Amino acid sequence: MPVDRQPQTVRKAVVVGGNRIPFARTGGAYTKSSNQDMLTAALDGLIARFGLQEERIGEVAAGAVLKHSRDFNLTREAVLGSALSPETPAYDLQQACATGLETVLGLANKIRLGQLDSAIAGGVDSASDAPIAVSEGLREVLLDLSRAKTLPQRLQILARLRPKDLAPDAPSTREPRTGLSMGEHQALTTAQWNISREAQDELALNSHRNLAAAYDAGFFDDLLTPYRGLTRDSNLRPDTSPEKLASLKPVFGRSLGSEATMTAGNSTPLTDGASTVLLASEDWADAHDLPKLATVLDGEAAAVDFVHGKDGLLMAPVFAVPRLLARNGLTLDDIDYFEIHEAFAGTVLSTLAAWEDEKFGRERLGLDGAFGKVDRSKLNVNGSSLAAGHPFAATGGRIVATLAKMLHEKGKAGGRPALGLVSVCAAGGQGVVALLEAYSAGTTAGDIHD
Amino acid sequence: MTSGQHLILGEMPSLSKLYVNAAATAARRRILGSHAAAVLPAVSHEVRDVRPDVENLTAYQHLLGETASDVLPAGFIHALAFPVAISVMNRDDFPLPLLGMLHLRNVIEYSRPVRFTEPLEIVARAETLRAHRAGTQVDIAVEVRAAGESAACWCGVSTYLAKGVFLPGIDKASATAAPQGFTAPDPTGLWQLGVDTGRAYAAVSGDFNPIHLSVLSARALGLRRSIAHGMYLASRALADVGSAKGDAFRWDVEFEAPVFLPARVALDISTAESVDGGWQRSDYVAWSPRSGRKHFSGSVAAL
Repeated sequence: MPVDRQPQTVRKAVVVGGNRIPFARTGGAYTKSSNQDMLTAALDGLIARFGLQEERIGEVAAGAVLKHSRDFNLTREAVLGSALSPETPAYDLQQACATGLETVLGLANKIRLGQLDSAIAGGVDSASDAPIAVSEGLREVLLDLSRAKTLPQRLQILARLRPKDLAPDAPSTREPRTGLSMGEHQALTTAQWNISREAQDELALNSHRNLAAAYDAGFFDDLLTPYRGLTRDSNLRPDTSPEKLASLKPVFGRSLGSEATMTAGNSTPLTDGASTVLLASEDWADAHDLPKLATVLDGEAAAVDFVHGKDGLLMAPVFAVPRLLARNGLTLDDIDYFEIHEAFAGTVLSTLAAWEDEKFGRERLGLDGAFGKVDRSKLNVNGSSLAAGHPFAATGGRIVATLAKMLHEKGKAGGRPALGLVSVCAAGGQGVVALLEAYSAGTTAGDIHD
Repeated sequence: MTSGQHLILGEMPSLSKLYVNAAATAARRRILGSHAAAVLPAVSHEVRDVRPDVENLTAYQHLLGETASDVLPAGFIHALAFPVAISVMNRDDFPLPLLGMLHLRNVIEYSRPVRFTEPLEIVARAETLRAHRAGTQVDIAVEVRAAGESAACWCGVSTYLAKGVFLPGIDKASATAAPQGFTAPDPTGLWQLGVDTGRAYAAVSGDFNPIHLSVLSARALGLRRSIAHGMYLASRALADVGSAKGDAFRWDVEFEAPVFLPARVALDISTAESVDGGWQRSDYVAWSPRSGRKHFSGSVAAL
């Protein structure tokens, strides 16, 4: 007998709120905390803030970039360790530094399709408690040993071990196909777009000043729970100055022909931390008497051919954003807040430079001219990764929760709900970008293409 | 805890010194004979401004299977307060020998989550000396308060047995009913405890009692092999109950057969829910899957 199926409709996915733990510089307050510890801490803070104890959430998705093999079910284990109902399903996702943002988009889409009513997106990373693998040589010997049946076989296998096999294999930010670290890749891009040292230092300075001002204004009071004695991101330097930043020696791009401009001050440090975002349908949020800060409108992923230098490693968002905005009938001028992840100051500035470049717009983006100009007063207004730090998979959740609150506070702009753009670059030449809008009942800019 | 003397210790006593002193006292009593009266010292010991070490907290949480949150696990507070409790049992006027005492039972009421950043005050005293069919038992009662608060946030009572010690003036206990036969239920969990389990818990709890550390040190005290700390076992069961237990709970454990290391321990945790589906209590029991002997049992219940 045929069953009457509900017609597939697209509904709104809203950001209810977020919670993260302060981000800590590697080797600091979270040195001994595992990814699972930090993700659970961020999750428990979210649960406490929104009264989700023993609640069965539709699905939880999170991930980590640097991941122990024992953490194969990291998110589910964090859920089991949290105050959520143990009947809450969860899955892990990994897309390098775009992990956090991709969990938001994937879950928001499930909510929009009616597959979920509530969801928690998140991410975590520890560069302190990083997994260390045994060398390939030792790994092969150990696996062969476990299959050996006789003593002579075992001895023969053990005899293959060489001293060099005992050296452990630590993770690095090196790109597998080029052997260049992420910083070295960005140094190439920074030089290619003629980004000055002064411009990079200025962006870093603004990041610290904006983040410090946001903390002072209490902006993060309902976005953060203290952990291991930290109440603020430990990388934040409210008192940094142009002079201090100018005094730092370059660390990336020193072997390039041009002047090296990237320092520890205008690059993000390795960081530990976790973030979470609560997403819901409008009905679920209303039924639980919870706020609806922003609507997740749309997202776009892009990748570039960086391996032989056609584009810079971290330039994929340069292509993703024009596609995303075109699909939604928007231009850069329509955006009220830009959240461009500061992997390096050079990444943000190269991105802006590419969008302002006539030739690049015509030849690479297929436009009539330059894509457009980002109003710098709307860029990372509450600070970003240069000041907060960047625990890889946790950055997406930090940005989405921050932006959702900003959009909610802004409300309307020019008679329509305020719009925010998120852009996150990632290893492997990838990038994920997303469009959010201040929540308002009724139609939205996102309906244009629905 | 208001009657009698109140002794404020300047700092947290050192457990290793207490154990050495206890050994010396034991030797002295063996030579000179015991003149202990059958009364407990009417004194409580207090240590103030106790600040848990966060690195030690993390190591404890990881070993016991707790998430490394900022809230102190109930068993961690027991370990934190343990030197104060032992200092009472190590007094010259304490009538029972400290070394060789068996932990029979433990009851803890944890009335609110305590964070590692809160300075704590810990008070311990001995209570209720009484007979046991195999010797004499005593309760060590401990209260933990956050500095500046009048109500305790954590109260624990540990019952210890001095086996074979019968004090004058304390009547021999009437023979209690034979222990009920135990039929193991289907397990919900299985623990593999390595031979280093005692050393690992000693490192995070500070309880380096030789009976837990190695075969040799345990043999020196008359055991055939080292045994797991009772509070290690009970704390793992508490961690297994998980976050369902909420913010305020009563946790008790009754120890029966010791767990000789290495060992496999089977565990069953059964949960009782209220009509609205909320958690009310979890009962746990652990046994040897090989012999079927019960090792310990207890419960965690909402306060």
